[in-house]
Amino acid sequence: MELLLILHAVAAVCAPWLAARMGRASFAVLAVPPAAAFVHTLWVAVRGLPMREATAWAPVMQMELDFRADPLAVVMMALVTGIGVLVLGYSAAYLPAGDEGLGRYGGVMVAFAGSMLGLVTADNLLLLYVFWELTTVFSYLLIGYDPESRVSRQAAMKALAITTSGGLCMLAGFVLTGQAAGTYRVSAIAADPPAVAPVALVLVLTGALAKSAIFPFSTWLPAAMAAPTPVSAYLHAAAMVKAGVYLVARLGPAFGDVALWRAVAVPLGLVTMVLGGWRALRETDLKRLLAYGTVSQLGFLVALFGAGTRATALAGAAMLVAHALFKATLFLVVGIVDHAAGSRETGELSGVGRAMPWVCAAAVLAGASMAGLPPLVGFAAKEAALESLLDAPFALAGVVAGSALTAAYTLRFLWGAFAAKPGVAARPVRRVPAAMFVPTALLSALGLALAPAASWYAGTMSAYTGAFRDPGHETHLVVWSGFGLPLLLSAAALAAGVLLFAAREPVARAGAVLPVPDSSQVFWIIVRGLDRFAVQLTGLVQRGSVPDYLMLTMLATVGVGVFSVAYGGAPRLDVPVVAWQRPEQPVITVLVAAAAVLALFARASIFLAVVVGMLGYGTALLFLVHGSPDLALTQFLAETLLLVVFALVLRRLPIDPGRGRLPFPVRIGLGLAVGVVLTGAGMLAGSARDVVPVGAHMATAAREAGARNIVTALIVDIRAWDTLGESTVLIVLTLGLTSLVFLRRRSYRIEPKEAEHPSAEPHWLASTLPRGQRVLAFDVVARLTFHTVLLLSVFLLFVGHSGVGGGFAGGIVAGLAIAVRYLAGGRNELGVALPVHAGVLMGVGLTLSAGTALIGLLFGSAALDMLATDVSVPLAGHVHLSTGVLFDLGVYLSVIGMVQDVLRGLGAELDRQIDAGEGS
Amino acid sequence: MEPSLPVESLICVPVLLPLLAAGVKLAIGGRLRRLQSVISLVTLGLSLAVSVVLLVAAESRGPLVTYLGGWPSPIGICLVADRLSTLVLVVSSAVTFCVMAYSVANAYDEQEHDAPMAIFHPAFLVMVAGVADAFLSGDLFNLFVAFELLLSGSYVLLTFGGTEARIRAGATYTLMALASSMLFLVALAVTYGATGTLALAQLAERFPQLPEQVKLLVELTLLLAFAIKAAIFPMSAWLPDSYPTAPTPATAVFAGLLTKVGVYSIIRLEALLFPGGPVSTLLMWLALATMLVGVLGAVAQTDLKRMLSFTLVSHIGYMVFGVGLSTRAGLTGAIFYVVHHITVQTSLFLVTGMVERRFGTTSVTRLGGLMRATPLIAVLFFVPAMNLSGIPPMSGFLGKLLLVQAGLAAGGWPAGTLVAAGLVTSLLTLYAVAKAWSRAFWSAPRVVQAGTVVESEEDTGEDPTVTTTSLPAALTVSVTALVALGLSFTVLAGPLSALAERAAGELMAREPYITAVLGRER
Repeated sequence: MELLLILHAVAAVCAPWLAARMGRASFAVLAVPPAAAFVHTLWVAVRGLPMREATAWAPVMQMELDFRADPLAVVMMALVTGIGVLVLGYSAAYLPAGDEGLGRYGGVMVAFAGSMLGLVTADNLLLLYVFWELTTVFSYLLIGYDPESRVSRQAAMKALAITTSGGLCMLAGFVLTGQAAGTYRVSAIAADPPAVAPVALVLVLTGALAKSAIFPFSTWLPAAMAAPTPVSAYLHAAAMVKAGVYLVARLGPAFGDVALWRAVAVPLGLVTMVLGGWRALRETDLKRLLAYGTVSQLGFLVALFGAGTRATALAGAAMLVAHALFKATLFLVVGIVDHAAGSRETGELSGVGRAMPWVCAAAVLAGASMAGLPPLVGFAAKEAALESLLDAPFALAGVVAGSALTAAYTLRFLWGAFAAKPGVAARPVRRVPAAMFVPTALLSALGLALAPAASWYAGTMSAYTGAFRDPGHETHLVVWSGFGLPLLLSAAALAAGVLLFAAREPVARAGAVLPVPDSSQVFWIIVRGLDRFAVQLTGLVQRGSVPDYLMLTMLATVGVGVFSVAYGGAPRLDVPVVAWQRPEQPVITVLVAAAAVLALFARASIFLAVVVGMLGYGTALLFLVHGSPDLALTQFLAETLLLVVFALVLRRLPIDPGRGRLPFPVRIGLGLAVGVVLTGAGMLAGSARDVVPVGAHMATAAREAGARNIVTALIVDIRAWDTLGESTVLIVLTLGLTSLVFLRRRSYRIEPKEAEHPSAEPHWLASTLPRGQRVLAFDVVARLTFHTVLLLSVFLLFVGHSGVGGGFAGGIVAGLAIAVRYLAGGRNELGVALPVHAGVLMGVGLTLSAGTALIGLLFGSAALDMLATDVSVPLAGHVHLSTGVLFDLGVYLSVIGMVQDVLRGLGAELDRQIDAGEGS
Repeated sequence: MEPSLPVESLICVPVLLPLLAAGVKLAIGGRLRRLQSVISLVTLGLSLAVSVVLLVAAESRGPLVTYLGGWPSPIGICLVADRLSTLVLVVSSAVTFCVMAYSVANAYDEQEHDAPMAIFHPAFLVMVAGVADAFLSGDLFNLFVAFELLLSGSYVLLTFGGTEARIRAGATYTLMALASSMLFLVALAVTYGATGTLALAQLAERFPQLPEQVKLLVELTLLLAFAIKAAIFPMSAWLPDSYPTAPTPATAVFAGLLTKVGVYSIIRLEALLFPGGPVSTLLMWLALATMLVGVLGAVAQTDLKRMLSFTLVSHIGYMVFGVGLSTRAGLTGAIFYVVHHITVQTSLFLVTGMVERRFGTTSVTRLGGLMRATPLIAVLFFVPAMNLSGIPPMSGFLGKLLLVQAGLAAGGWPAGTLVAAGLVTSLLTLYAVAKAWSRAFWSAPRVVQAGTVVESEEDTGEDPTVTTTSLPAALTVSVTALVALGLSFTVLAGPLSALAERAAGELMAREPYITAVLGRER
């Protein structure tokens, strides 16, 4: 079985390639997999049943490649594969030779045939669902075969939406069933039905009914007639729409005697049968007429299998075959008529029967089977159906009414397609290709040829029908059962059908007046309503305003606090609060708080920058007071650098603080609430701790490792991994930022400004600003301090291991030295001060840091393992050499590169753009 | 002396190697363009290989730990490779490799041919390193650093080219990311304040001993921070506002990976640090809202990229649902879905990029007849699109099935409601995708000549796009590889779901992780 499915898949994938080389002849090749499957089916039938195969696939979700063929499955297999082969052959003649969609069509058809084959043989509910949805998708693609037609696109969408909705319900139903049964194996569930929640049964049935176009889901099937006619014959008459019926039949032995199951399936089936038949009487398009006929027949089938007795199941099994044969024939006939006479409208076709007597004969034979005339398969099936329902008067009445309608629309179809109509000119007819006629005639003839096998069929099917627990009314499946009530009912239905046909004009008028619910409109109302709702909701949620999003975040933060207290209980309030430990603390705190409040009212950007800077300096002071000079130093340096950067940026960036849409008090309130939550969180956290923090162990560990400065040990050793990450962050952000500034410019070089101030007077720097912008004292200071400060930075880099300093602080100091030269001397001075590409500096820095980490991995125990050795150097005494220094050097270089890049981008390049008067 | 390399020491490679490569590339500068591409691809290829090795080792030997710098946990930082982290690492490495191949083929780096510095590749590599670090980190603060790494790379990629639309999108993105980082930082401070440690394994031991409200405070603050990154409703609105404008490979890899890092963090957080508790119920309702609001957003879109961004948000809801169930089956589903979603969402964005390159637009109102014009692109779109919509037997369906099974097995009406919402979401995803397909790929073809200058539809200040018919073969190959990777999850559904289940079991047990990190002799 798996091999056959793979064969289908391979053929489907190769189809476009085949079609491109062979044209329509490729369909012969594509028919090979279904043909092989057909042969396999016959072999399985001959060899004896049941056949089963099982391969593990995904045991976690209990999805197994479980295949099983019992009589019901074999019948379906034979129909699916046999009609598949015939339809492929028919399609080769039906489609225009040069059609560019040939490959697509052929591929999807074969893929569909494979899925259908899998569907009817799957013995695992989940596997069945897999094939189920695959048929939906392929049907979608085939309905949309003519993608330029709006009608077919809409029809495809409708079919997809309706069948998938049902399918998803069914999936939930399957899972509920499987979980109740403890297995997803269909045969096991049928043999030992679990007690399933009613909702599961309804869900499963919903899927089946949607797939088989049962009321209220019928609307998609007539619309699906937008597909090419062979597709309709195969998917929408013989195979796919039977999937729902098949599922009801398949699960019948398990749930057929559950009242709910019957109460849903039987009435809906009968309503569909009658409504579909009634609707068919009004159609003038032959294909749509057949489509409504199909809806009607599907309702019939669902009612039979849904009734859930041995008798009805047998009748259903017979009807299944009969319907597939006659309905496929009739669709193929429509295709022939359309192809030959160029129309499917009953009002336009006249005298076609005389021009195509053999086609007409095939149609009449199939029609007779559909209407239920002896001695055809359709007759035997209908007799059995009537007999099986003798105990159920309502169902019987429904079926009789439906049969009458069936007879009427059969006549309407035959008359519409073939009769010579008065007042309508006879239609000229093209020759019919044999490839189209032969499959049609074959299917039609089978409707007659198989009839004598009826009782044998009943015997064979007993292996399936016997599994139903409710025997029902005793029923015979024979070509001629003698005179009795069923025959009488049959005859009455036929007579009524003839009358209905004879009175077709008034009937059609009545049909137009009588308000039969049109579910198509309902469907589109739902879809449009959904679209509208989606747009409105999205407009509401997706405001596109960053302030709104941020406000939402703050609200959520407050929510976090509320939720924690609500669910976690009110916090312990005996938190020991120490107002301050050192007198500096309150002073600094007041300073910081004042700065924060000032920031709220800052209107000028530069003022805002300074105020925010004060916050930073205040924090640095707090670090210092708490005995952490390293952190304080770094914070001071970073704050200073930040101020410079701010000042540079603000030249081109007038920040408008903007006004929120909310009133000021609300915003204040929200801010305060967030503040309360965060402060409370901090206090709570501190009071909840009853263990020694790991920081204390770090200090011990660092001392044991010989480091005298715990902060540096943390940065370049214990948590060097974080340092590596964060320095990379700085590099990338800097590059990203400056790349935006250099966007419109291709050169990174600092071009010397035009010699606008060839000053003869001596100056201290390599370059200088024009008179008026220049401050001589600044020049002097910049010149004098530059090398000293650089030296200091190197010092900071190397003393880090024992004293205050480190690569980061050193880097910033060096960067500040360069910044001073730039500020004093302008952009040309910057180029002179550090004639290296910033990207290279940063790249080398990152390579050094990451490389050191890798060295530790290769030669030490783990990444970032710092290899150290003590070397005795003359004069300097013992020097502790560690790869940690290399690592720190990487950071140092990165930071210098970063500062330089910022100065170039936000400083020098912006200078140039301002000088050149380029737009912002 | 031959240095011996135990497999644990390889754990840092997926982080370190891209960083090193980024450094080398910066040092090389704009020279040797061919070499640049080779370095990127080799680096990511090696990362992928190492990830696979780690996955195999973690699968057979349980969680592997490396102590960086040789400092034992909780003093130093450790990286932990367990089943979950290595599984997502393998998938993300495979995806980033394909995306890098796509970028090289699409010559994104050549757009900056004359620019002073080639930043696309370094930023990409740094982001990849950040993602790997986030998966592997065994330290909460280092997780923060990992997020900073990947975010910094993503800021650069998002604003790449500096068009007005991208700068505006970048502002939204950056501000929200910063808000999230700030909350994360607060949570770190509170965590350290309350427990005195930041090593995840030790936190797992100490959190249960904390008073309920403190625990909730930390959990929810972290959750809020990650929810912003993962784009969980109501913190999701920033995503569709910012992703669609970025360069295609950036959008693709953001969509595939970055949100999933948030989801991954939530999984790790909930399973390791905060098992049980009222938050799981909260997560379920958030999942519900995320799924439905997201997918309705997708239904309302007429632009492919925006539509995909909304489905991205929506399907994050699936994973959160799995986490919220807080059962082994639920986590299994969530993990499986993460793996699936990384791959499929990336593929879809890349294909959309091909459409944009060929036709100059991704608006379905201005596209048409793509199926006839470019059948290959149509197939490459259709397959992952159906996969995303959960059409069986593709991985989207399998993930959905696992979640449905988990939800129904959990029982109760909240779980039942979520299952129903999940199925509705699946249907609406299919509807949104089919609508886009119907309008862009079906319908009457609109002829777009190669070299047509397509002006931007809205007044975004975007440069006009120039269409081209010459899609490099490597472009198609990389996308096909990704689509095939997505399909391979179907073939490998058995082992993959079993692996996801064992990963979920390992997570729920907690003990393997804690023991592996803190040692046996506790």
